Amino acid sequence: MMSGTEIWLTIGGLTLLTFITRNAFLIIGQRVALPERLQHALRYAPACALVALIVPEVVLQSGALALHVSNPKLVAAAVTVAVIVGTRRAFAGIVLGMLAYTLIRLV
Amino acid sequence: MIARRVFGHDPTVARIRRTAFQRGLRAALPAMLATAIWGLVAGVAMIKTGLTVPQALAMTLLVYSGSAQMAALPLIAAGAPVWLVLLAAGIVNLRFIIFSATMRPYLGRLPLVRRLSIGYLTADVGVALFIGRYGDAPPQQRGSTEQLWFFAGLVSGTWMAWQPLSIAGILLAEVVPGAWGLEYAAILALIAITLPMLSGRPAAAGCLTAGVVAVLAASLPLRLGLLLAVAAGVAVAMAFDSLGESDTRSDAR
Repeated sequence: MMSGTEIWLTIGGLTLLTFITRNAFLIIGQRVALPERLQHALRYAPACALVALIVPEVVLQSGALALHVSNPKLVAAAVTVAVIVGTRRAFAGIVLGMLAYTLIRLV
Repeated sequence: MIARRVFGHDPTVARIRRTAFQRGLRAALPAMLATAIWGLVAGVAMIKTGLTVPQALAMTLLVYSGSAQMAALPLIAAGAPVWLVLLAAGIVNLRFIIFSATMRPYLGRLPLVRRLSIGYLTADVGVALFIGRYGDAPPQQRGSTEQLWFFAGLVSGTWMAWQPLSIAGILLAEVVPGAWGLEYAAILALIAITLPMLSGRPAAAGCLTAGVVAVLAASLPLRLGLLLAVAAGVAVAMAFDSLGESDTRSDAR
């Protein structure tokens, strides 16, 4: 575990880092032009980033691929996706997914 | 009055701004719920890692980035050197540079202070929902009052969903048993946020690629796989995009 001072340093560093990355192109303003084609490509970045954050959490179990029904995370994710695609209710999807996750781990 | 300070004195302009802001808030609503769950989980995780309450509060209010916080926590627990934690979180944060490039055509003309304060508020969900709504706007229309205030509504909604629940998580962490598996609710919440974004062949193909690459590259150090996955996903989406364009062109002939 880090010391208190190190943790405060880390929080300060993270604050600065997040601020700089979030504002990278906003600080530059309109001075540098991005090609229209690149701007178009960037439209797909947010969704790709979210999927890339999610999928490894769902299909990997301690680093190994676990594409079978005894992986509670995979089943829970499938339930959430099915409920949201079927009913368009995000909250119901999350709750039922968590229910499936809990039941499978208890059984 | 606060409303006048926020939306301006001119009643016509104020009405346009307020309407757009409210539309942004409403558009954020479905994602706010999921964001709130993710915030709660991050709050609990910070305390369970061993941060004190003031440290955790400072982290959520100043850093305000779930993925960077979650990347930093295991390294903090392991007593890693500060530079390593910053490097790991920095790589996770590189996607924000892409987001800021995405948003620049819309926000670039604002005064610097406005740009920076919106930059602080700009989380994944806000950008994704905004691009879903205005990504097709022709270049000369980008950055209109309506778009700007719609975006302000989106990112304010996300912030207001994240912070109270994250703070609740920090204060209640001691009474939440680890056995609940609450941290997985955050992933399910992210799924709920992401699903509506997968419509259209280019987006679906790009996201599929990003998912596969993220899994294949998951063992890379410092979560470099995330960056690789985004780059591959965007490349594939673009390839499908130009395929689609040549389709419509040949249809027109």
